[in-house]
This record gives sequence, structure tokens and C-alpha cells, in this order.
Amino acid sequence: MIERKRRKRSAQTADINVTPLLDIVFIMLIFFIVTTSFRKELGVDLDRPSNAPVQEQKRSEVIAVRIDAAGQIFVEDRLVQAGAIRANIVSGLASKPDATVVVIADRATDSGLMVRVIDQARVAGAGKVSVAASTP
Amino acid sequence: MRQISRRKPDEEWEINITPMLDIVFIMLIFFIVTTSFVREPGIDPLRPLAQTAATKERANILIAVSSADQIWMNNRSVALHGIRQLVEAARAENPQSSVVIVADQTASTGLVLDLMDNVRAAGVTSIALAAEGVDSL
Repeated sequence: MIERKRRKRSAQTADINVTPLLDIVFIMLIFFIVTTSFRKELGVDLDRPSNAPVQEQKRSEVIAVRIDAAGQIFVEDRLVQAGAIRANIVSGLASKPDATVVVIADRATDSGLMVRVIDQARVAGAGKVSVAASTP
Repeated sequence: MRQISRRKPDEEWEINITPMLDIVFIMLIFFIVTTSFVREPGIDPLRPLAQTAATKERANILIAVSSADQIWMNNRSVALHGIRQLVEAARAENPQSSVVIVADQTASTGLVLDLMDNVRAAGVTSIALAAEGVDSL
């Protein structure tokens, strides 16, 4: 009885108070606006072969780029200038189209130089670029 | 004309907030969906330039290497052997996240490669090196 009576009464002015809901929604909205960061990180993908099961690659399928401790760059054991890496890798890829570019960097060199070499290899059109540290 | 319309709403004056609620809810859902909660590493090293730098999706785990060869993650300096545990914990929170190593231009290659091996030991297969796009300068 009481239930029915109450329901009948509320049917006359059915009005939900949305103010608390609005408060919560606005607070959540402000929180998410403030915490969202749209800055996406740019990056260069690279392949780091694992040390454990060594997959033997034929020498003919690899273009080795060595970086020594002094920051000198050797493409296939030939000293090249930093600006000429790309051209050298392009000519290497012309003779071995499916070759993997392996960057073998000295542990003491700057990582910026390594990224630059990887980038140049990518620009030259190398499909796979992997990195390794040379053992001193 | 204007006076009439001003006099009338005096009796039952109420703003219709339904369209505003719709918009607020849509914005709320948008921000909930797009938020990714990236934990900043704590330092902002000078990234190397690269022409082939591409935007990394789901790059939620950032590890920074300073020019003095210090490793930073989650706003603190971490030792090399402590990285694996931190990356595993971060992966447990969000299994699809990938790792971006933000190495300074002058950080040593050996440390960056050791760091990569440690991250890979934690089970992350997609590791990228952060770079600055050439055209973004």
C-alpha cells in the first residue's frame, strides 16, 4: 500500500536531481584532460639478435658496418665518411638485395652515432638492421 | 517582441542541460579511451636525429639513458640489473606495452645494448630507440 502510494505521488513530478552526477562527471573530465599526454614518442626500430642460439648467417647475406672506438665507420671493412654511409649501403644492397645490415659498434662509441648509421641503412632501403657490440 | 519573451520564462525558468550532458559524456569517454598513462622516465635526454623515425604506438614503458650513462625509469635512477624487474612489473600492468629506450646522443653504445638485453630478458620483444624526426625541427 505504502509503496504504491509513494509511486503514484512521484509520478506527478518525476524529476531526477542530476547535479551530483554532473559534479562527478566534470571532475572525471577535468582529471582525464589534465592527465592525457598526446606526445607520441618517435623511435627507430631495431633488431637485437639474442646471444644464446646463434643463427648462423651466411657472409654473403650480411652487410657489416663497423664503428670503432674512435667513431670511424667501416662498411665492409672499407673506411667511409659519415655522409657516405648511405651510398655505400645502397651499392652493397645492389649486389646482395636481401642482405641484413649488421651494425657492429664499439662499446665506447656514442649511441647517437649508432642511431645515425641505423637510420642511414634504413634510408638506403635495408629491410633488416640488427645491432651488435664488438667484443674488445 | 523582446519584452514579451523576457516576461514569459519568469513563471518556470529552467535551462535544458541535456545537450551539455551529452557533450560532456562524449568528451569524458574520449579522454578515458585515449589516456595511456605513460610514466615519464624523469629526465629528457637529447635524442639523436633520424630520418626514418616513426611514431611508436603503445610505447608505455620509457627508459632513459643520460649522457653520463645513468639509467632512469619512473622518475628515479636505476641500476642496470634492476631494470628487468621494473620492466616485468610494468608489463604485468599492461601486457601489450612496448619499450622505448630514450638514449642521449652521447650515451655509450655498450650500455644501451646491455639495457636492451635486460629488457628483452624481461620478455619484451619490441624495443625501439627514441629519435627526433628530422622534419619535426
